[in-house]
Amino acid sequence: MSATTTGAVPAMPSGSLMRRIAWHCRYDEKRELWIGWWTLVAFYNLYGLLFFVLARTQPPPQPSLGPAEIVQWFDDRRSGLLYGYAIVSIVGGATAIMTATLAYTMRRMSVSRAFAYSYLLIYALATLPGMLIMGVACTVGAMRPDRDHALVSWLYDFAFLSFEGTMGVFLVGSLIWMAAVLLDKNRVFPMWFGYLNLCNALTEVVVAPAWIFRRGVFAWDGAIAWWINMAVFVTYTTVFLTLLRGMIVREDFGSGPLPELASDRAPASAGTLGAAR
Amino acid sequence: MTTVQVSVAPRADGSDERAASSEKPGGVRFVPGQPDMWAFVLFEALVFTSYFTVYVIRRTQSPGPFLQSQTHLDLHVGVFNTLVLLASSWSVARCVQATREGSFRAALNNAYLTMLFGVVFLVSKVREWATAIAQGFSFTTDEFFSFYYFLTGIHFLHLLIGFVVLGVAVSRIRSAAGAAPELVETCATYWHTIDFLWVLIFALLYVMR
Amino acid sequence: MKRRFEQRLRFVWLALSAITLAQLALGSLGQQDALTPNAVVTSSAIAIALIKVRVIIREFMEVRHAPVLLCRLADLWVVVTGVSLLGSYFVGMAHSAG
Repeated sequence: MSATTTGAVPAMPSGSLMRRIAWHCRYDEKRELWIGWWTLVAFYNLYGLLFFVLARTQPPPQPSLGPAEIVQWFDDRRSGLLYGYAIVSIVGGATAIMTATLAYTMRRMSVSRAFAYSYLLIYALATLPGMLIMGVACTVGAMRPDRDHALVSWLYDFAFLSFEGTMGVFLVGSLIWMAAVLLDKNRVFPMWFGYLNLCNALTEVVVAPAWIFRRGVFAWDGAIAWWINMAVFVTYTTVFLTLLRGMIVREDFGSGPLPELASDRAPASAGTLGAAR
Repeated sequence: MTTVQVSVAPRADGSDERAASSEKPGGVRFVPGQPDMWAFVLFEALVFTSYFTVYVIRRTQSPGPFLQSQTHLDLHVGVFNTLVLLASSWSVARCVQATREGSFRAALNNAYLTMLFGVVFLVSKVREWATAIAQGFSFTTDEFFSFYYFLTGIHFLHLLIGFVVLGVAVSRIRSAAGAAPELVETCATYWHTIDFLWVLIFALLYVMR
Repeated sequence: MKRRFEQRLRFVWLALSAITLAQLALGSLGQQDALTPNAVVTSSAIAIALIKVRVIIREFMEVRHAPVLLCRLADLWVVVTGVSLLGSYFVGMAHSAG
């Protein structure tokens, strides 16, 4: 399946980036893991651009807007919403690769495979409230400028409540990952990352009042329910992407403890062709 | 994550170096418990600081209503809660000390005592909430009460997790008698965090004007 | 030797409890003015709380004996919290008064 089984692997060429990437695609044992990691990085960046810059649905608008203001909100963003979510609907499937990569990390741990499978299921489901439902609701709202105002208001509430308020899914996912990390004997991730998952889970709890309040700090656009929560979430995401990279570099495809990072280069082990990354 | 903890050699009498160094200021420096837990504690404390700051800002924007609602809180209950958690911190610190000395019976007793104080706090808090709700002050009554239930609620959640953490400490003390006390110290670090966060919540909800 | 540490812990606990009871006394004294914002009460409440927190961190959590980095980080958090809370209070009160 990989070049290593058929004989000696040619040395990685120095030189242009394209040649090195091509070499990795052909010979790197960890190429699927790296594809997974780069997909995560690219997707989160793209997601940020689409939601914050193109569609401008984040930071979220106020829940207390009246029907006329809501229609105005859609009007101001019509093409951004339509193009933005068109792109989201095309790349949305990438979440499968992302979730699989994260589930892989749990498979590599010494804990039961049930952790990986539950995580996989939860995050597969999470794509719905975390991205797709809002996309559909916003594009439906933007599609016909002459739609009844009451209906547009409905779509607005539906979009934002489903997006901001359904943190329960991510909460449980974080707890599963936390438990896996804390119980893991293979040291795939450091303990403090397990605790960071707890932090992330607790800040998700804090979003729950968004269902109750239409104004103030606990509303879906509030200082506590959105801004602070988002700061924690961005920190968390940046951290796990960095740790994941380290994990892939250290990966030895065994089932015992993962070797530590010796230096910036990967530890010497048979077939670790990703050394130069 | 590399630990800055110096290696702690068990002594002939079963206690470890740290039990002695605790009394020697300027002696051996060590990180109590896992450094990882400290990373969590500092990060979570920062998140709470942000919640507290939002509370203070909102409070200064409408001081009248906040003060009015605050009069419905009972300062005595707040003080009682604080005293209970301070006592629980004391007992968990003694538990750690006992674990280091190898006095596992004493360590267990202190751990159970800590749990007891925790339960007292929980019961007191639930009663306080029930009383407030019976008087008509709910989560959505006004902004002060939203913050009150939010801050005490999220603290309560941390306390519930604290029981799980204490359970881990207890099982460690019972099963691995003689093993390094790092896990018990880690659990204690978490518990103390619940205490000091409450000290701040108490000042902000019950005392400040 | 161990007794000294135990005594220290007990002293710290009693001192913190005493301060808390003092706060009860102070709070009860000012009841007639309960509806007026009071900068002195507020800043002393926050300051006392931070002192208690720092004592808990240094004594109960044994940061006194921790490497310098942890001491500094813990103190930094206390300072950040103090500045943030007191700053927000005074700036906020100035705004709403003006």
